[in-house]
Amino acid sequence: MRIADLSRFTLQSLLAERQRSLLTMLAIAVGIAAVVLLTGLGSGLQRYLIGQFTQFGTHLIAVMPGKDNTTGMSISVIDTQRPLTLHDAQSLRDIPGVEAMTPVVSGQLTAEFAGKSRRTLAFGIGPQAPKVWGMALARGQFMPEDDLIAPRPVVMLGHTLAQSLFGHANPLGEKVRLGGMSFRVVGVLAPKGQMLGFDIDDAAYIPAALSLQLFNRDGVMEIDVLYREDESSASMVKRLSRRLMERHGAEDFTVQSQDQMLASLGKVLDVLTFAIGALGGIALLTGGVGILTLMSIAVAERRGEIGLLTALGAPSALVLRLFLGEAAILGALGGLLGVVIGLTGLWLLHLGIPALPFAPRADYLLVAEALALLIGLIAGVWPAMQAARLDPIEALREE
Amino acid sequence: MTTPAQLAFAWTALTAARMRSVLVIFAAAIGVAAVILLTALGEGARLYIMGEFSQLGSELLIVLPGKNEKGGGPPGMIFESERDLTLRDTAALRRLPHVTAVSPLSVGAIDASVGARSREATLLGSDATLQQTRKLKVARGEFLPPLELDSAQAVTVLGPTIARELFGSNSPLGEWVQLGDRRFRVIGILEEQGTSLGQNLNEVAIIPIANAQALFDNPALFRIMIEVDARSRMDSVKQAATRLLIELHQGEEDFTLITQDAVLSTFDAIFGVLTLSVAGIAAISLLVAGIIIMNVMLVSVSQRRGEIGLLMALGAPPALVLRLFLLESLLLGLLGALAGILLGRLGVWALAQAYPGFPLTTPLWAYLAAAFTALGAGLLFGWLPARRAARLDPVLALSGR
Repeated sequence: MRIADLSRFTLQSLLAERQRSLLTMLAIAVGIAAVVLLTGLGSGLQRYLIGQFTQFGTHLIAVMPGKDNTTGMSISVIDTQRPLTLHDAQSLRDIPGVEAMTPVVSGQLTAEFAGKSRRTLAFGIGPQAPKVWGMALARGQFMPEDDLIAPRPVVMLGHTLAQSLFGHANPLGEKVRLGGMSFRVVGVLAPKGQMLGFDIDDAAYIPAALSLQLFNRDGVMEIDVLYREDESSASMVKRLSRRLMERHGAEDFTVQSQDQMLASLGKVLDVLTFAIGALGGIALLTGGVGILTLMSIAVAERRGEIGLLTALGAPSALVLRLFLGEAAILGALGGLLGVVIGLTGLWLLHLGIPALPFAPRADYLLVAEALALLIGLIAGVWPAMQAARLDPIEALREE
Repeated sequence: MTTPAQLAFAWTALTAARMRSVLVIFAAAIGVAAVILLTALGEGARLYIMGEFSQLGSELLIVLPGKNEKGGGPPGMIFESERDLTLRDTAALRRLPHVTAVSPLSVGAIDASVGARSREATLLGSDATLQQTRKLKVARGEFLPPLELDSAQAVTVLGPTIARELFGSNSPLGEWVQLGDRRFRVIGILEEQGTSLGQNLNEVAIIPIANAQALFDNPALFRIMIEVDARSRMDSVKQAATRLLIELHQGEEDFTLITQDAVLSTFDAIFGVLTLSVAGIAAISLLVAGIIIMNVMLVSVSQRRGEIGLLMALGAPPALVLRLFLLESLLLGLLGALAGILLGRLGVWALAQAYPGFPLTTPLWAYLAAAFTALGAGLLFGWLPARRAARLDPVLALSGR
């Protein structure tokens, strides 16, 4: 039989039992839709997280105290005898390729103004921090380019903090008390929104040296370095490490580029996406059983037809191929239907939750469709062999 | 028709098409088994974490420095506060009623060395009460001696890993170890422990709090841990401690008090949601099984038109025909649920054999939910085929058209 005839024959037998074929396809489609939806959710989440982490720019390298390079935080950030000092930070500034640098100290303190007070986050930073983190101003100006070690007491207020202390009044030039120390407001930052669900506008940005005094610390928690776009992160990591090694005489610090961090985050999320995709795949298995059931019913019902075909000289290989083709088409069409349902679901989710990017994974779509076809084929093998093995005389006599 | 007769009728119909019935039951069983297996995994993970937590004791209050308006900051960050938790706070908390132990805790990284061997260790500064609040077990030697909070003594208790790496097979007891720029005499070795929630106690060096503060030149405490004599008094002690600390901190609440229970219930909630959603994903296959039941029942109705026509011609009301076919799909669902529970239990048993340390139990609700979903799928998806059977015109059905 020619391919064209073959496909016409199988399509016709599928169409003859329209309702049955549709329901069988639906069973497969639900499984495929689950896989498409779940992997889409996984990669949407991945994009969302990476977006959150890269909102400060991608050409960043973080230097932290302590050589513990496992996931999570080094205990050295809390306290260590070998701190990263402001002088260490300053020494990184003139390394070739370094565009800007800022030390980071984070803490909580009470901000007071004219009888109002509020517990808020405080970040001790250097004057280049706006450049490193891509900060934007709502009014006023950034911190002056003071000496890192001996800065003037000035503060930039986050949007939420400025609102709660000053309401609609102009905060510029006013003196705010932070942790008992007096700071002059030089700027208010443009709202940046949330980072992983926390309001990062509820914060005060003060010079790092003063934050060390306020929190009674020797060392900074982190030094963030922005490097030029034409430099590679690996060579920058090497240069920064060499400089700090010269100063400390030992590798008692960790240098981590944004690339490395994103790569390890991506790996974790990939595994997660695969895992929930596989969970959705259980439903595919069930759908496969559905095809198997339906095909074996079809073989039983069409014994007369099969007998006639064989009696007319069709070799059993052809009969096998006919029924296998039917099962495969059921699987493939079911898969397509599932992909459409899954994509629609994802898109609706994206409309409902705009923060979640619409991110279907092309590779998973292809895998899902191939899987549907494969499941159809595998589920079809046994019924098709039953059909091919039918004795034409027996089959025709039953008619 | 009596109910047993109806059941017998449905049973005969199912066994007549044995292959088909077995396949449908298998499809439903896959879904039920998946739900049972995955909830067992989720529950196991929850119990495991809870077990780790409860090692710390559930009568524990923890004081952290700093407080935010909305409580906390971005996850994964450590925050300083302008007013520290101090030894004065610790001493004051010890005078509260119903408090059995109060441990100050400071934490930092330090180089520990013996001769030429050196490695980085986690330094914990505390006092004798830490053994009680953190439920620490000493393998050899003894724990820190009871000292006044502000008096120093150059002794240390080492974690087993650190002790092994610094001393090899020699006994470290009574030997000197260099921590930072000072020397300490080893008086005890902790028992080997698993990683307890990221805090690896195998790699610590514990020294008296006064020594730690001198080493880091920092009077601030990382945590204060309060053990309460009875669980029922947690709330009243928490309030008393809050009042006391506010008084000591010039009327400001610049600290956060958390109970072990609060941390636990957060984890509990997270794992509950996780288990539910995983079970939900597994339940998608029950939906698929439902579709298959419907499909097969539709086929069966169209194949048995003659039989249905005969039944009706003999005076069976449509309601009875409806019931007969519904009963058949319900039976399919029920058998699927039973087979699935068996299959799931088998899977759980196999997993338990493979990972003996991991607690695996399927909660009762998972069995019930899976079984009822399977039955529900049978009923819901059986409705349409059953109704079609009930609406057949006996004359047309019998004439084979």
